[in-house]
Amino acid sequence: MTMSPIEAELLRNSLASICDEMYIALMKSSYSTNIKERKDHSTALFDADGRVVVQGESMPLHLASMLGLVEVVLEKYGKEGLKEGDMFLSNDPYVGRGSHLPDVAIAAPIFKDGELVMFACNIAHHADIGGMSPGSMAGGMTEIFQEGLRIPPIRLFDAGEFKRDVMDLILLNVRVPEERIGDYNAQIASNKLGLRRCDALIERWGKDRIAEGCDAIIGAVAKRTRAAISDLEDGVYTFEDVVDDDGLSRKNIKICVKITVAGDKIEFNFDGTEPQVEGNNNVTMAGLQASCLYCLKVLLDPDCPQNHGMLDPVTINAPLGSIVNAAFPAASAARAQTGQRIVDVVLGALAPAYPDKVVAAGNGANTSAAFFGQGANGKFYVYLETLGGGAGARSYKDGSDGVQVHMTNTSNLPIEALETEYPLIIERYELVEDSGGAGKHRGGLGIRRDYRPIGHSTTFSGQGERFVNQPWGLFGGGPASTGRFAIIDDNGTTTRLANKPSTHKISPEAVISVITAGGGGFGVPGERSISDLERDHESGKFSDEFLTEHYKQWRNYSAHAKTGT
Amino acid sequence: MYIGVDVGGTFTDIAVNLGDGSNLILHKLPSTPDAPELAIIEGLENILKAHSLNAAEIVRLAHGTTVGTNAIIQRKCGKVALVTSVGFRDLLELARQTRPTVYDMHSDHPEPLVSRDLRVEVPQRRLADGTEHVPLDESAVARAAKRFANEKVDCVVVCFLHSYAFPDDENRAAEILRKLLPDATTVLTSSSVYPEFREYERFSTAVLNAALITVVGSYLDRLSHSTADLGISSEIKISQSSGGLMSVRMAKEFPVRASLSGPAAGVQGALHRALTAGVENIITLDVGGTSADVALLEHGMPKEVSARDLAGYPVRIPSLDVNAVGAGGGSIAWIDRDGLLKVGPHSAGAVPGPVCYNLGGTEATVTDANVMLGRLNGKALLSGRMPINRDLSVEAITELARNLGVTPEEAAFGIIQIACATMVKAIRSISVERGYAPSDFSLFVYGGAGALHAVDVARELGIPRIIVPPSPGILCAEGAMNAPLSIEFVSTILCALSADEIATFHKARTELETRVQNWFSSEQVPQSQQRTVWSVGARYFGQNYELTLPIDASASDRHLLSDIEVAFHRAHEKNYGFSAESEPIQLVNLSVKALGELERPDLPLLPKTPVPEPIELRDTLFSSIERHSTPVYLRETLVAGQELVGPAIVEQLDTTVIIFPGDKGAIDDWGNITINVERSIQ
Repeated sequence: MTMSPIEAELLRNSLASICDEMYIALMKSSYSTNIKERKDHSTALFDADGRVVVQGESMPLHLASMLGLVEVVLEKYGKEGLKEGDMFLSNDPYVGRGSHLPDVAIAAPIFKDGELVMFACNIAHHADIGGMSPGSMAGGMTEIFQEGLRIPPIRLFDAGEFKRDVMDLILLNVRVPEERIGDYNAQIASNKLGLRRCDALIERWGKDRIAEGCDAIIGAVAKRTRAAISDLEDGVYTFEDVVDDDGLSRKNIKICVKITVAGDKIEFNFDGTEPQVEGNNNVTMAGLQASCLYCLKVLLDPDCPQNHGMLDPVTINAPLGSIVNAAFPAASAARAQTGQRIVDVVLGALAPAYPDKVVAAGNGANTSAAFFGQGANGKFYVYLETLGGGAGARSYKDGSDGVQVHMTNTSNLPIEALETEYPLIIERYELVEDSGGAGKHRGGLGIRRDYRPIGHSTTFSGQGERFVNQPWGLFGGGPASTGRFAIIDDNGTTTRLANKPSTHKISPEAVISVITAGGGGFGVPGERSISDLERDHESGKFSDEFLTEHYKQWRNYSAHAKTGT
Repeated sequence: MYIGVDVGGTFTDIAVNLGDGSNLILHKLPSTPDAPELAIIEGLENILKAHSLNAAEIVRLAHGTTVGTNAIIQRKCGKVALVTSVGFRDLLELARQTRPTVYDMHSDHPEPLVSRDLRVEVPQRRLADGTEHVPLDESAVARAAKRFANEKVDCVVVCFLHSYAFPDDENRAAEILRKLLPDATTVLTSSSVYPEFREYERFSTAVLNAALITVVGSYLDRLSHSTADLGISSEIKISQSSGGLMSVRMAKEFPVRASLSGPAAGVQGALHRALTAGVENIITLDVGGTSADVALLEHGMPKEVSARDLAGYPVRIPSLDVNAVGAGGGSIAWIDRDGLLKVGPHSAGAVPGPVCYNLGGTEATVTDANVMLGRLNGKALLSGRMPINRDLSVEAITELARNLGVTPEEAAFGIIQIACATMVKAIRSISVERGYAPSDFSLFVYGGAGALHAVDVARELGIPRIIVPPSPGILCAEGAMNAPLSIEFVSTILCALSADEIATFHKARTELETRVQNWFSSEQVPQSQQRTVWSVGARYFGQNYELTLPIDASASDRHLLSDIEVAFHRAHEKNYGFSAESEPIQLVNLSVKALGELERPDLPLLPKTPVPEPIELRDTLFSSIERHSTPVYLRETLVAGQELVGPAIVEQLDTTVIIFPGDKGAIDDWGNITINVERSIQ
């Protein structure tokens, strides 16, 4: 018997409510800034076959990590190998189908009368997972072994018994273990909460109805994804773009996409993309899937619930061993940088098919700044944050200034919280004038943020993208300005750093200044209205020089204004 | 004579309690959004005239207003300028550097209320411990003042980092600005509006307050003059987002505190009704045309939150924790792209309204489902004022059912179930998800469509009892009339929960006590009416979110420390499913709520009249297959002590109450209907 559309909606609503509750509980009780402030975590419920049925509000990059997680557990142990009270832990991009090591996933099978019915899972980005560098995200590492502790899918609970030995091993390998244990506790509690809620739900609906309902809910998403793809005009769409560098030897690394839309099916083919790199900005299959699914969702159906059904009409092919489908043992901590570029090429390719929906290239990065040091009070700290920048302009309005784009939407840490917790000062946090691309609708402005250590020297590591290659405009819109890392000494000298600098000492007599890229413009600049240009000027977001250089209507207008005619 | 006034977007409601035990006088008239005081004055005049009352006998006029909220939504507010430290003029615009929704590239946060050219930077910077990193440049502040005078700004806000703990620089800059700017320009500081850490939220709250000062101020002046002209000599009290009242003087200084007061006044009304009837644990469910608002009250105390949103801007003011979802009588049923049935959040509103209104609506709504099932009157609503065409409802739902592949009855029942599921989810998030069992509470329902859906919602959550007040449509006005004066003060302390750092706590407590005493005297609250409730925000060191715990501020240090420790571990376990007894605890803030109880008239009792007969028997569906010939009663004829055995329907002007087969309803002395929900979840 299949489930009616009314019952399926009621069940979906109940499952989504459980997922949201798990999500909030995890966020509010965790310690890692990545989770508690930046919401770099996700929760999901799976059916007995390991398919995602509902996923809570989540980071786009976790979309696919979730898809692979339970599949791997089932492949390794088989349904018959799972016991009530088990919980599995994993983080490895290769054997665990994750996307980078700091994302630790925990999955709990849910049983009813001895039969496997569902799984509750969550993923959280830990502030440290060990490895060569504090924060486990810095550049300069060339293989995954250097990036941190690799955890294959293993039991953290065995039939209800907590495997303390496993946790002891993990904690010994990570920095600031007393905080990390808090994060693991929060993740375990979130799953236990999911288990309790699902128990009650299964009790009410019965396990067979739950199974039917999961089928119906996944089927519904497959159906709406196919319907959305049918709306796209059939054809072949191509685009290419580059990643600035890998922080070591390679520069301008090309990513190519050929998208084929045929009826209600879509194929992404990344043939021609350059091989994986020595640096840590490789993307594994999970990250590639996530980036493509993100594009489909934002373009075709932003309200579509996320589950396994999304994959149904989608085929993704990429050369194994390329930067978008890296093979063991490529390093992948900074996979978000390249994920952003995958989004750029997919949106760029589909621009002719969807001119009203696409946006010009945004800051295209997950610009990160990591600090490690020992404050004047003797305490060690590790602190990592990511910065947004300009968003690309849209067909009918300007791009947003200073926001996170696409694969990331992490919020900043309040300066007052940061300065209370760490021996650092933020001396500037502002928009970068003239950084958005010109156009009928202009791109958004990038961000500048300056940091100074107090009473000690700090060790800085960073990840920058769109620091060399400008974010492009669309349909005649101009490109945005690029970003950079620089050390500005109190004596006035400015030294630009590499785009992916590792372990730079910054003294208290200097600031490290981070600037991120802006967003590209949309439409030819000549069509921008005078009133919009006046606003650009009055707000101080664009200088007279910039406006004069890019807009001929401004030249005429300001010449008249000056002569008073 | 006590009067409560609630000004909503469509109607202005007035409730009058003469204080002599007679029935409340209720009056509803269309709002006048451009000058809300006009409808108030007209309504008051009507009442005074119709009942031959003397304006001079009005003891209190309490008023909930959405003037501020509307001004922000329409951006018809004052011209605001901002002074901040060098490097931070864009802080208001960068906000938390996130986009509103992850998967929508087209939605943006609203533009800041202060335009960028009016955000002026001056050299100044203090660090987290108060160290002066850059001294305040007073001459730069003076230059800014000159500019603002030329620009004719209405209000200037001074926003410096770490001012929640070190407000001196903000105060000094404000002093300079006040001296140099005309008297008509208000100058305020972020720390005076809400001295909590997290700069963006503090600045945003201060800016919202500044933007409202002129518009709310002039509204309150106009209202005060018109009521004085009417012969009303008592002072007007204004509802706050926390449910309490404040003086007009306070409201003019802190208009942002009134911004989310509408739902809060309703909760206050529910609280007063429930406590009078002897019930102190309730979950409120207020269902209107577009949305459902829910709140939880434990031991007669509503839960509060400080983090809210006003038209997309974060605002940190003490507010009742009211959770709103898009499910109401007008919510539209539709089939999503995936073929599943959805209800809301779009609403047919009052115009065109549900299909059965026959005003041009074509999409089936929750009201249409209720009409089709016979739960709502199929001939007319609003005591006959709104004619209903049931056939149109049936037609629209039959069409929907065909597309879903189910029977029309199943579709109608499904619409109601899905709307109720949304309400259930809203209630779960303020009860189950915070560690409360709904079965320990009564469901207090109001708003036009609350009582229609109460049983479905209660049964789903295991709530054993439902209370429907006598006039569910006017509870906000009633609530304003019966609220106490209140204010909250908070101090960020960020210290360890240990004997070594308890001095920080005491210092903050002493300061807060002084502020509370000053407030009591400025609001002229007599000693016997004064009450204070203290609480701390606590977390484990390293966490970001604090849990609020009530405390006995007068306890000895030893007790205080151990009480907080025990309570915190317990609350953490309750909220998040674990506690870490060995981990150190950090106190984030100390806050105090001061209450000034006002003289309150008793709620009138039902008059003694004969037990009524039903006015008709109606064919009603209680599930897609369970059909009963159901007696329908008129609410105003019910008498105290009367019992209604389900199935039964009670109709009145502003709502319809459904009592399901197997359930029992009882009328109490004050006219509340209490329904005991007998049948368990299917």
